[in-house]
Amino acid sequence: MTDHVGRLYALVAGVVVFLVAWAVVAAHPWAPRPAQDPRLVALAARQQRVQRESVLVKRLVDRRWAAYRRALAARTAAAARIDARNSALAAIATAPAAQPSVRVVNLPPLVVTRTS
Amino acid sequence: MERRSFRAMGTTVELVVEADGVSGELAAGEEEFERLEQVMSRFRPDSELSRLNRQGGIEASADLAQVVGLAVAARERTGGAFDPTVHHAVELAGYDRTFTELPEDGPDDGASAPCGGRVVVEGRRIELEDGFAIDLGGIGKGFAAERVAERLALAGPCLVDAGGDIAVRGVPEAGAWSVAVDDDLTLGLVAGGVATSGRDRRTWRRGGQERHHLIDPGTGRPSETDLLRVTVVAPDAVEAEILAKALFLGGSSAASAADVPAVLVTEDGRRLTIGGL
Repeated sequence: MTDHVGRLYALVAGVVVFLVAWAVVAAHPWAPRPAQDPRLVALAARQQRVQRESVLVKRLVDRRWAAYRRALAARTAAAARIDARNSALAAIATAPAAQPSVRVVNLPPLVVTRTS
Repeated sequence: MERRSFRAMGTTVELVVEADGVSGELAAGEEEFERLEQVMSRFRPDSELSRLNRQGGIEASADLAQVVGLAVAARERTGGAFDPTVHHAVELAGYDRTFTELPEDGPDDGASAPCGGRVVVEGRRIELEDGFAIDLGGIGKGFAAERVAERLALAGPCLVDAGGDIAVRGVPEAGAWSVAVDDDLTLGLVAGGVATSGRDRRTWRRGGQERHHLIDPGTGRPSETDLLRVTVVAPDAVEAEILAKALFLGGSSAASAADVPAVLVTEDGRRLTIGGL
């Protein structure tokens, strides 16, 4: 009786060992890992390069945009100043003449006006 | 008629009163010029204006608050053509000391300074925007001429000539105050003021190039215009100074359209009289 039970356990253990060994052999752990597809490697490298370049391009565009905005603001301000000046000159031109209280005379000059 | 000449504000000042026994009034007029120069000079480190420019904000005297207020109002009226905040631009152009002390030539680094700085005048409080300072060279002599003429008028008809910026009060026996604008052109002034702005005097050289003191606030550099000189007759000497500078910066085409009595002299020697002269 005892021998039968022992044999049965031994048989079951043998079957388990066989199945494990089968699974290990079926997995081919000694086989070399398949090499990565070089096209995928190149694609990944290219993706990283493009990402780096896109960051650089974005920085460049941001700098140029900021410079453009500054230049535009300066030109707008300059144009506004010129417009304001022209408007002021136009206002002077169209304003009613100040009472001149002045005329060309033949009197000997008392004083001389010159660039002060 | 009594006259008195003296040096003030970097020029020759002449006081004329059509009355006798007014030497005291003339002396007081000279003292008033000296007092106002001490208020408005940018060349005197201890002047009130220099203190304002150093500190950026002060409780000013009534005179400084008034003249700065007039200058700021003039900037608004002329669309920025007249601007009291040209101080740094004038200095960078080379006019950084009294004219008699200026070297004839020197290096030119091409620098300019922005104009149009904010100036707030509230009562006697004056505040300047950081980085800006005030130069009253474009209005100070006219202001002083008007102030002194006001005082001299108590003694009789008078004329005050501050280096070409002229204020008059009253009518002389000759019927008008005769003011020569050119060798062959004399104006008879009954009231108001006369001023001349130009680049035919007060010039110097930097890097071999001629510089002058009339700054274009738009560029921060000596203005480039086809006009050599502009003489304006206006209701007072302050207004005449302001208009003379505005017309000078505008150039002959814009200035000749202005309806103010003025004499324009172009750089090619043409003389235009406008505004009913």
